[in-house]
Amino acid sequence: MIGLEVRRMNRQIVVVADDEPHIRHVLALKLAKGGLQVFVAADGQEALELCRAEKPDLLITDNQMPALSGLDLCLQLREDPATADIAAIMLTARDFDLPTDQIKRAGILLVMSKPFSPAEVLNNALEILNRTVTVQERI
Amino acid sequence: MTLAKKQLTMNLLLGGVTALGAYGAMTMVVRHARGSSPESLLVPAGIVALAALLFWSRRQLRQGIAAMASQLGSMAASRETGRVTAEHPVLRRLVCPLNELLLTGRNDVAEQRAANRELQIQARLADAEKDRLQAIIHSINDAVIVVNRFDELMLANAAAERVLGFKLGGAMRKNIEQILTDAALVRMIREARAHAPTGRTKTAEHAIEVDGERRVFLVTLSCVATDQDRMAGVVAVLQDVTKEKEIAQMKTDFVSNVSHELRSPLAGIKAYIEMLLSDEVDSDQTRREFYEIISGETDRLSRLIDNILNISRIESGVIKVSKEPVSLTAVVKETLEVATPQAANKNIDLVTQTVPVFNQVEADRDMLSQAVMNLVSNAVKYTTEGGTITVSTTVDEGRQVAACEVADTGVGIAAEDLPHICDKFYRVRTHSQMAKGTGLGLSLVKHIVETVHSGRLDVSSKVGQGSTFRMELPLC
Repeated sequence: MIGLEVRRMNRQIVVVADDEPHIRHVLALKLAKGGLQVFVAADGQEALELCRAEKPDLLITDNQMPALSGLDLCLQLREDPATADIAAIMLTARDFDLPTDQIKRAGILLVMSKPFSPAEVLNNALEILNRTVTVQERI
Repeated sequence: MTLAKKQLTMNLLLGGVTALGAYGAMTMVVRHARGSSPESLLVPAGIVALAALLFWSRRQLRQGIAAMASQLGSMAASRETGRVTAEHPVLRRLVCPLNELLLTGRNDVAEQRAANRELQIQARLADAEKDRLQAIIHSINDAVIVVNRFDELMLANAAAERVLGFKLGGAMRKNIEQILTDAALVRMIREARAHAPTGRTKTAEHAIEVDGERRVFLVTLSCVATDQDRMAGVVAVLQDVTKEKEIAQMKTDFVSNVSHELRSPLAGIKAYIEMLLSDEVDSDQTRREFYEIISGETDRLSRLIDNILNISRIESGVIKVSKEPVSLTAVVKETLEVATPQAANKNIDLVTQTVPVFNQVEADRDMLSQAVMNLVSNAVKYTTEGGTITVSTTVDEGRQVAACEVADTGVGIAAEDLPHICDKFYRVRTHSQMAKGTGLGLSLVKHIVETVHSGRLDVSSKVGQGSTFRMELPLC
């Protein structure tokens, strides 16, 4: 038997991780206005725990953060099957510093540079979320 | 013919001539006695005459030869002039070609001697040149090794011994594979010969562990050719560029850090302005909040730029340092006047303990002020309400230093953060919310105290209890 399961487009969950409070605040505001449910984290470790607890559909993270960097955070998410499917966008002031192979391994779908436009972040988030259709084949 | 035989021959001839004369004379006498005609006496007379002639000419010849023989003794050879002289005319004629031959001989010998001397001089010059070259190569700080076309070590200097870890004594003419433990370097040398035409140089970076420390070298490989254009060998020069690479990395890191630090407040400003422009703000209160955030971030950006410029200019030496005898106590007192209101805002007790004014240090007054100010303002930032900050100056006559200590009862610094607190842009994350800061203040203090004034900066701290910063400067 082959069955298809399509993920319902409920209020999707986004985790925003950034050590700058103003950035967290403005992103949370914008994404909420776009109809998403937002959780915020001030550092990489907090974000990891949040992802494990809430199983968000998307993670938007800064790279340079205390405790755990954004890149390491994403790598750790991939290692855990429970969180391996969480889509990730990286927002960073150091976009030139990230090697492409590491980005691929971390499963980061998009790297955006700071300063950023909140509207653009929202658009990209929605696009990625709308693409998320889980297809499962069952024999 | 032996002398005896010659003498015998001469005697025989003499005897023959005498006999002939005797015979002629006898015949004359006999014929005359017989009363022969005068014509019949002619022949015997002729014979006698002939014998007499022969006898006379022999005598003459003998006399002539005796005269020449006696002259032979008078022939003189002179070493100075290299000529032979003789009195006798006949001998003189012999002597001429002899002298010519001698002259040619002398000239040849003289030429040969001159050529020999020339060769000796050239050999000495070549030796001196070789010694000088060796001395030059040995004095070069960079490691130099030369291998011939069979990969045998021909020349190496002391630096090469040190860097590559071998002893020159036993290594000459041995294959470099046996001498060098660095297989990669051996391969590089071989490949340089195999792939490059003569005269071309190849450079590459190569890391080698020297005395347990990883150092980076710039390896320059040149192929050496003889006159006939044959590949004679390879010269490898290893230049230690570890320091240069570190500095280059530091510069890159600094630029990367600066751009990151500047982009962060900019990101805030841009994001909030966009929200305001797109009319997504619900209330006036929120709008005001956004304006304040933008304003705050703009100030932050401005401070950051000022600090970065300041520290860059000081570190690169653009700002002229003008040192003069300055009283550390006086500077501290002035600085505290500025800091007191800030401390008062947080109910922090600012205590001063100073030594008399006349202890002076050789310092740039403005820079010293800045350093003290940075330490005091840090103390104010990281001390909670109601705490105490003690600023004291002391003098150690024995060590000839004056010191300024800023001790606070603030949040303290964790052991893992302590080694980094003077790094540029480093901010202890746990307390980054306590105060606005650029992470450059302590870097500047360290630079001013240690680099510009040859002093010392020390920190001791306990988390939850407080920190003490101590700056020491040499007395005038």
